[in-house]
Amino acid sequence: MGLLAFLRKLKSTPDRDIRMLLLGLDNAGKTTMLKKLATEDVTHVTPTQGFNIKSVQSAGFKLNIWDIGGQRKIRPYWKNYFENTDVLIYVIDSADRHRFEETSGELGELLLEDKLGGVPILVFANKQDLTHAAPAHEIAEGLQLHTIRDRAWQIQPCCATSGEGVRDGLDWVLKNLPVRK
Amino acid sequence: MALASAATKSPKTPASRSQEILAGFKLNWMNLRDADTGKIWWQGEDDMSASGTEHKAHVPKQLLKCKRISREINFSSAEQMENFRLEQRILFKDKLIEEWYFEFGFVIPNSTNTWQSLIEAASESQMLPSSVLSGNTVIETRFFDADLLVNTSKVRLFYV
Repeated sequence: MGLLAFLRKLKSTPDRDIRMLLLGLDNAGKTTMLKKLATEDVTHVTPTQGFNIKSVQSAGFKLNIWDIGGQRKIRPYWKNYFENTDVLIYVIDSADRHRFEETSGELGELLLEDKLGGVPILVFANKQDLTHAAPAHEIAEGLQLHTIRDRAWQIQPCCATSGEGVRDGLDWVLKNLPVRK
Repeated sequence: MALASAATKSPKTPASRSQEILAGFKLNWMNLRDADTGKIWWQGEDDMSASGTEHKAHVPKQLLKCKRISREINFSSAEQMENFRLEQRILFKDKLIEEWYFEFGFVIPNSTNTWQSLIEAASESQMLPSSVLSGNTVIETRFFDADLLVNTSKVRLFYV
């Protein structure tokens, strides 16, 4: 499914621009996911040293997806991109168990941000194709997602390189876009 | 000596700040894709920053058959910027036929960034033939930090 096809399904909210913010630790697979959404080659993805934005326009309205680099030195700048976010997509490398605590800490801080207050969150448990990947329910437990009360949330197992599960996640996003403020 | 230089150090004037932003900005590459397949039809990498020059893109005319196309740019900035934005215009025989604005807002110091816009192409019946468009179509991209013009790039399209 191309991004334009995705956008055409959004006809229920035609009079505004939609802003999705893609965050997560470095090497979680954010850029790969974004490229895969646009049916691009994902064999040469390099660490993002800033942002990658995809702007999609169809039927007179726009979807902007912001992918911000996840390296430690870039994370302090994440807050500059929170404003007007409609949906937060948080990507986790399900096989990088050594960094579950680190990613949990970053997510915890995002959930406390005023500017992201009430913003629905989709967590992608990425890299499910790797043999030692943790299953989504285990990650959800580790992140204590069930304690989230102030917003809609969802965890979606996926494999960004093959695209498996990505569409299911986006379908959830479609259903949970906040109505126009 | 150290003391003397510290004493003479003055706050940056807006002009010198502009100079730093301009000097630290580089437009690395641009490309055009079929947005349905992700296939790249043209990529320009020859110092796209060089202002004043008009770049030539020789694009296979099959691009005009694509239902959806993507325009992508990649740029680097050494300096932090607070109100970065771009204006992209498509000109046919110097007449404006399409216009895009995009606000990036904040730009991370020493960052490399991409912006890609995916659009639906005009239907074939509305489209001018490639022989008419070729050499007469220009993509003009201007970058600003607030009101400071940081960079202008012009790419003239030739359909081959």
